[in-house]
Amino acid sequence: MLKCRQVSKSYRTERGLVTAVAGVDLDVPAGRFAAIIGRSGSGKSTLMAMAGGLSRPSAGMVEVDGTDVWRLSDNALAAFRNEKVGYVFQFASLLPTLRLIDNVALPAMLGRRHGASGTYARAAALLERMGLGGYLDAYPAEISAGEQRRAAIARALINDPALLLADEPTSDLDEQTEIEIMDVLRTVNREVGTTLVLVTHNLALAEQAQQIVHIANGAIVA
Amino acid sequence: MRLLASLALQNLGRRRARSFLLIAAVAIGSGVVFTGATLMRSIDDSMAVGFTRLGADMMVAPEGALTNITAALLTVEPTDLVLDADALSKVPLASVGRVAPQKVVRVEHSGIGGHHELVDLFGIDPARDFTIQPWLREKLNRELRAGDVILGAGRDAPLGSQLLIFGKPHLVYGKLGRTGVGTHERGVFMSFATLAALAGSMSQMGGPRPAALTPGKVTGFLVELAPGATPQQARFAILSAVKGAKVVTGDSSLSGIRQGLSALLQGILALMVLMFASMAVMVSVLFSAIVTERRGELGLLKAIGARRAQMVGTMVVEAMIATGVGGVLGVTLGVLVMRLYERSLVYYLENIGVPFVWLDLPRMAAFAAASIVLASMIGALGALYPAWRASGRDAYDLVRGEG
Ligand SMILES: Nc1ncnc2c1ncn2[C@@H]1O[C@H](COP(=O)(O)OP(=O)(O)OP(=O)(O)O)[C@@H](O)[C@H]1O
Ligand SMILES: [Mg+2]
Repeated sequence: MLKCRQVSKSYRTERGLVTAVAGVDLDVPAGRFAAIIGRSGSGKSTLMAMAGGLSRPSAGMVEVDGTDVWRLSDNALAAFRNEKVGYVFQFASLLPTLRLIDNVALPAMLGRRHGASGTYARAAALLERMGLGGYLDAYPAEISAGEQRRAAIARALINDPALLLADEPTSDLDEQTEIEIMDVLRTVNREVGTTLVLVTHNLALAEQAQQIVHIANGAIVA
Repeated sequence: MRLLASLALQNLGRRRARSFLLIAAVAIGSGVVFTGATLMRSIDDSMAVGFTRLGADMMVAPEGALTNITAALLTVEPTDLVLDADALSKVPLASVGRVAPQKVVRVEHSGIGGHHELVDLFGIDPARDFTIQPWLREKLNRELRAGDVILGAGRDAPLGSQLLIFGKPHLVYGKLGRTGVGTHERGVFMSFATLAALAGSMSQMGGPRPAALTPGKVTGFLVELAPGATPQQARFAILSAVKGAKVVTGDSSLSGIRQGLSALLQGILALMVLMFASMAVMVSVLFSAIVTERRGELGLLKAIGARRAQMVGTMVVEAMIATGVGGVLGVTLGVLVMRLYERSLVYYLENIGVPFVWLDLPRMAAFAAASIVLASMIGALGALYPAWRASGRDAYDLVRGEG
């Protein structure tokens, strides 16, 4: 499902070239649950962004479901992000001026593959499943950080992605919420067969994964 | 798409003060452009009217008569003084072409208009007139007869309807087009015979019989130069042939006004171009700042699969709404200002000798539409470039607030 070959990313900064990810090879077969662990600043988020079509690698190749992602045209890449990938950011990522239900429905509306009524019914069901059934019309500022994170997961799932990339979806949340969120992600992985790549600092969580990828200084270690 | 459009609207609402300032600035700009364009066209048209349909080259009036300088010599000026009706035909004047004699009496309590309204009744010779009848906008389908009157554009009565003047019935034969010349627009015109027939009813109202009504006398003449003759030649010939007359030339002041006005128009044009340019620069600066501020949002849109066109679209729609609203406001403001200053403006222009006619409604509407479209185009163009650049950045960098 996900295949990275010699993927690198460097940033030009005032202090010179900073290499965030250096020549990573990674294979995650379809339907698997993989965990990425590593210290802060080791390059986990950067790797995820390159895998999800959000950040163009400085070098190397990313293949998702047989598609060489970074060789797609602008529009094809947009469609890829829209249809193939569900991305959960490490930080709050809802559009503040839209209601939760609109935020969740937006990716489906962008693609316009389904009718609006069907999309909204699905968005409502997803929010319901995330325990946010009472907040469909709420704005992001009106709910807690954990609730926002759950809404972001609902948004990531709206288009039934083949690949779900979750970058520390449970960071700074209480244990109970963390368990609930992990439950949802693992259920999707198990029941729908969605490939799940999870970045986490929580080793207990990582141990539940079928594959653990340890990153240090932008490279995979053992 | 509805959600993207609502995103654009919400963003405007989120920064009320800034949106308001932007809208206000655009409103001022497009208001100036609209008002400037409308005034310019109106003045231009008025001048064209003044120069091409201007009937007479000069006016011959009694020496003591007060005469306004006006670009369009269409009527003589009301005065108590008179000239002999045959003054200009006694001796042949080679430098003079057509001559149209006119009588005018200024009357009160005539039954026309308001009770105390002063109304100018003009007597003309339909066979010789060349400043009134060319302006007929609509008329009955027959010759002008005794008992018929022609109304200036400023007076309103249906064609063929009856008009009582000092109690005597008259028929509205025709109506004149707008000229911007006050006496012409407010005048009531009729043949010498029709005017003479009113003399009896006028004197019943008391007061002395107006001198202009004396048979064989007229208030003045409108004169056309013979081809090739200069105003100086005609003036000299007339003054030596007619005692107690003065000659008012129309065009001596006109060339000066024409020059003055074209300078003014160029000034307005330059101001408009400058206004426009500074508005465009300001809007694009503002929108590159707005795009920078919103890159996180744009990045999110990109991350969830928005195409570049959709990202640019939201920003452009947002800009177009703001500047479009500004445009509408500006035009509204412009209309209000022109309404407010209409009187003093028209008065001023007529005082310096320009008959003023407002632009007709369809063209004014076209200008209004163009100003609004231009305003929103400026918004669209101002947002287009920064939005397009931002949309090309990596979604991840945008979301992180870089790029
Ligand atoms: N836009 C950027 N410009 C310069 N350096 C960057 C940029 N983005 C990331 N880096 C650097 O790349 C390295 C990896 O960053 P990254 O965010 O991938 O780490 P991470 O493993 O996700 O860390 P954390 O666990 O704290 O989220 C860091 O040293 C960071 O400073
Ligand atoms: Mg990270």
